[in-house]
Amino acid sequence: MTDQASPDTLRSELRSWLAANKPQGWRDITDHKAFADSQKQWFLKLVEAGYAIPHWPKEWPGGGRSLAEQKVIYEEMAAADTPRLLLSFISTYHAYATLHECANDEQKTRYLPGILKGETWCQGFSEPGAGSDLAAIKCKAERDSRPDGDVYVVNGQKIWSTMAQYADMCLLLVRTSSEGAKQAGITYLLMDMKSPGVTVRPIEQIQGDEEFAEIFLDNVEVPVSQRVGEEGAGWAVAQATLASERGLTLLELSNRMRGALSRVAELIREHGHAEDRGILRDFGALVTQVDAASALADRFLENRIAGIERVGDASIVKNAYSRALRAYSLLGVRLGGMAEQYRAPITFGDLNTGNWMADFMNSYAWTIAGGSEEVQRNIIAERMLGMPREPKGWVL
Amino acid sequence: MIELSELRDSAAKAFPAGSILPNREESWQLASEMGWLLVDLPEDLGGLGLGRAAGAAIIQELGKVLCTAPLVPALLALRGIAGAPDFDGKAQLVERICGGEYVPLNMLPGSVRAAPDGSLSGLVPGLFEADMASTVLVGSDDGYRLIPLDAEGVTLVERPLWDESRRIFDLVLAGVPASAATLVADGEAAAALHDEIARSAMLYVAADSLGGAAATFDLTVEYLKMRKQFDRPLAMFQALKHRCADLKIALTVAEALFETRAAAADTASVVELGAMKGHATDTFRLIVEDAIQLHGGIGLTQEYPVHHYMKRAMLNLQLCGSLDRLQEVTGRAALAAYA
Repeated sequence: MTDQASPDTLRSELRSWLAANKPQGWRDITDHKAFADSQKQWFLKLVEAGYAIPHWPKEWPGGGRSLAEQKVIYEEMAAADTPRLLLSFISTYHAYATLHECANDEQKTRYLPGILKGETWCQGFSEPGAGSDLAAIKCKAERDSRPDGDVYVVNGQKIWSTMAQYADMCLLLVRTSSEGAKQAGITYLLMDMKSPGVTVRPIEQIQGDEEFAEIFLDNVEVPVSQRVGEEGAGWAVAQATLASERGLTLLELSNRMRGALSRVAELIREHGHAEDRGILRDFGALVTQVDAASALADRFLENRIAGIERVGDASIVKNAYSRALRAYSLLGVRLGGMAEQYRAPITFGDLNTGNWMADFMNSYAWTIAGGSEEVQRNIIAERMLGMPREPKGWVL
Repeated sequence: MIELSELRDSAAKAFPAGSILPNREESWQLASEMGWLLVDLPEDLGGLGLGRAAGAAIIQELGKVLCTAPLVPALLALRGIAGAPDFDGKAQLVERICGGEYVPLNMLPGSVRAAPDGSLSGLVPGLFEADMASTVLVGSDDGYRLIPLDAEGVTLVERPLWDESRRIFDLVLAGVPASAATLVADGEAAAALHDEIARSAMLYVAADSLGGAAATFDLTVEYLKMRKQFDRPLAMFQALKHRCADLKIALTVAEALFETRAAAADTASVVELGAMKGHATDTFRLIVEDAIQLHGGIGLTQEYPVHHYMKRAMLNLQLCGSLDRLQEVTGRAALAAYA
């Protein structure tokens, strides 16, 4: 293992590996199943090469990399325009962090190796009635005895679970008590997606993609041994899950968007706008906005490498990226004209699908998913700037 | 090696937050005593050789209190003088400046014509605090010249500004004898010098703007926490919180781009630095605009300080090329880069 190697050595190693191994033609895949298959193959190839889980500890193959080295990996993946690891993202970050930080040894031994064999996880957190207000979840779990051990019997509905239709396992938040503070009655379970009573329905999104799904749970039995942490301590475990991604995604995405500015340049030329000063200005403003968002993502990660993170920093980075992405795709839609209004088959999970209207619609995923822009603003105002919260107690 | 954070700290100590618009002459003297004119000057000329980023760090702090000392035009002139090919009296002039003499560079484009006998005529606007100077460095499309203000045919005309934190003068040249002026660079040397000065200018105006923007933002959030209406502090209203969050995001993003480009200022292109300057000044504009609105009526008064920041922000937008121009140039360069 090269855990002592300098980031520069890693960079050149990775460059030559990518030159020989990066997937070709992945942008032409427009079928859901084929997309999931190609994602799994690419992930397994990266596991084998030692680049899939640099953030895991070094007893795992390819693990034990510093944050600085992880940054190099993401930068090089973006520069080589490899497909983003969407299908395995929840598994290698969220499931890993939850298991690593909060699970018992038996659970770790049982689940961590499977992730490297391509076992896919999804997240069952949000519900139709619990989006921004996640602690309001209602999905109910009642304890019951069975001859081969106690179980939780789970009933309810989860929504916005990324790629749950392809998942083997689920990180599930359930309500085990309605007493006291709403956070206090939440319990964290690891659920097998093949359990009887689990129904998954993909959600067709506005651009025809099916990145999210609903999960219906009808008397699903989850063994008590599959609980992470104590009963009623699920909220704290969920924080570990949500904090798992350490700013690398936004760095990767910012770098990819920086590279994709060439597509806007092509449009400007194709449509004969190369001397249009208004359009040149808008392009110049966009280039600067993207550069600024990249600089911020980079600084955020550098700070984390140095051990500095203030509350609200992640909210600012996310907003800067998502606003730049909106501006980028909107300029594409505008310059592309009518051509972008005709439906086109799209590549999944890419900010750069080949159709600007699809990219524009997809940009909302970043201002809504993972904590909406409005929630991020509250975090910045209240927790960073110290502006007072509104009094509680208003009843509908 | 002195760290940038040390320079920032000493600047913040010399010009504490809240004491805005310090006296011009005293500020200038303090800036000179602190050695801030030396930070960007190469060591072989008696400077500290810390580079542009060091100057920018100090200027960002001074921007917070709307410092009236004209450090920016002085550092720009000094970079021009230091970077020019040798000329008679160069070393002595650098020494005088290091000792506290104020020699500014014009910060708006000037036009100077030489008559067949070599005498100079023209109009050079954008000389800040020129009444403190006895010599100015004039950059125009045909080169850089040192012009003593007591020479025959030289007149200074003050142009009152909305921004009362600074004073600006036009230099009117009417047949200034060739012997009075010193040509320090022309032709290719002037073009190279122009790029070197432009890098600093973009960085410094951005630094001043981001210092001002941060101070304006803090002032506004503090005001919202203190001011009560409808039995609660304004800071409790979500509509206002979200606006403040948006401003905080904009400021943080602009600071990130500024710091990234400042760290690479010697190798970044003038276009890249110009794009950053445009972005920083536009962020200052965005923040002062909302700051006035969020202050309500008090924001429209002379007695409350927020208007000073607004006027400084609007002036900064005009220095070193307008936002429209900088964006266009950036777009053109990016288009060429993706050819």
